[in-house]
Amino acid sequence: MSLSRRDFLAGMAAAGAAGLTASEAHAYSKTFSKSAMTYFAGVASDNGHNYRITNWKKIKAKWQRQLVKYKSIEPIGSVVVDAQNHFLYVVFENQTALRYGVGVGRDGFRWYGRARIDRKALWPRWVPPPEMRVRQPDLPESVEGGIDNPLGPRALYLYRKGIDLGYRLHGTMEPWSIGNNVSSGCIRMFPEDVIDLYQRCPIGTRVLVLKTLGAPVIDERAPVDGEPPA
Amino acid sequence: MTGKRSWQHAAALTLLLLLAGCNTSKNAADSGSSLTAADNVTNAPVAGGVNVAPGSEEDFMVSVGRRTFFKQSSAELDDVARATLDKQAQWLNQYPQWKVKLQGSADDPGSPQAQTALSQKRADAVRNYLSSQGIESGRMLAKGYGRERIGEDCPEIECKSQNRRVITNLQEAPEF
Repeated sequence: MSLSRRDFLAGMAAAGAAGLTASEAHAYSKTFSKSAMTYFAGVASDNGHNYRITNWKKIKAKWQRQLVKYKSIEPIGSVVVDAQNHFLYVVFENQTALRYGVGVGRDGFRWYGRARIDRKALWPRWVPPPEMRVRQPDLPESVEGGIDNPLGPRALYLYRKGIDLGYRLHGTMEPWSIGNNVSSGCIRMFPEDVIDLYQRCPIGTRVLVLKTLGAPVIDERAPVDGEPPA
Repeated sequence: MTGKRSWQHAAALTLLLLLAGCNTSKNAADSGSSLTAADNVTNAPVAGGVNVAPGSEEDFMVSVGRRTFFKQSSAELDDVARATLDKQAQWLNQYPQWKVKLQGSADDPGSPQAQTALSQKRADAVRNYLSSQGIESGRMLAKGYGRERIGEDCPEIECKSQNRRVITNLQEAPEF
């Protein structure tokens, strides 16, 4: 997750403004450039907060949620991420899967391996890890859930053998970042998609992050490949 | 065969293949018989992919989701389950041609009889909630299968969490 100073200020403003009305939320969205605003199609309400609706006309078809053929031995219900191709799959019956477009870690921040969803949150508070704040001293200690929280409306927390990996599947307020290598290791999704995924993944859901489909699965006892979360 | 006729032949064949492609999800598990080689690779669109037909079974799978999950030994609908069922009810109200078989499963502590009873309670909970959201009782059948129709079977939460569920199975011409 990388935040500019502008985003940080917007986030701080949102943190102090729980329960925004739609028109107030529009006022905050002025922090985005005019071209960025074309990625939004209004504001939707969800569990006491608002998120900016994705303007799907601006989004390539390949990044939109869709049913695809999927050949794999992963059990039904598993989540599989193809980091290189920026796809996340939920495995369905009959060798099909529901596919979503995602954003993944930038160079030096990608990771691979098995994990499990041990915790889920609605409108999560964002607490940048200390390493991230060292790199970006402008970041706040935390941002409450809301329209300008970079985690978006949901987060699914990834664990391995009871240990929090520090990585999450979460939403984004930057729909243009889907399909790119942008984060500090988290898997980011359109807000509509992470709301959808949250419904489909009970606590205990398997997650497998691969460099590409068909790449060898890194032994789950091995340390995470790549840089630590930051 | 003239060039034109062979073109018509090819177009007809393509149409047939496209129609076959629309039906893939209705095939028995993995028969793959109606799939062409091009359809049968990972990432090939199923049922039109992003252009899925509104009101189709695949639309329900993509836009709504068939599964409602439960906690261990519980048939109670939590917030997540209710949010899922709200979406199901909205969709089913919009497309009244569909009936649903609500297939409950259990993978919980207890005897086989207890599992069957729990899975029936789960299916009933889903039926009652959908009914409260305006779905006529005559469109629904709730049946508990115990562990009979569970997916992956293992002692860990990875398996159990997937098996403590009700699948809302759309049916055009159900036997009930």
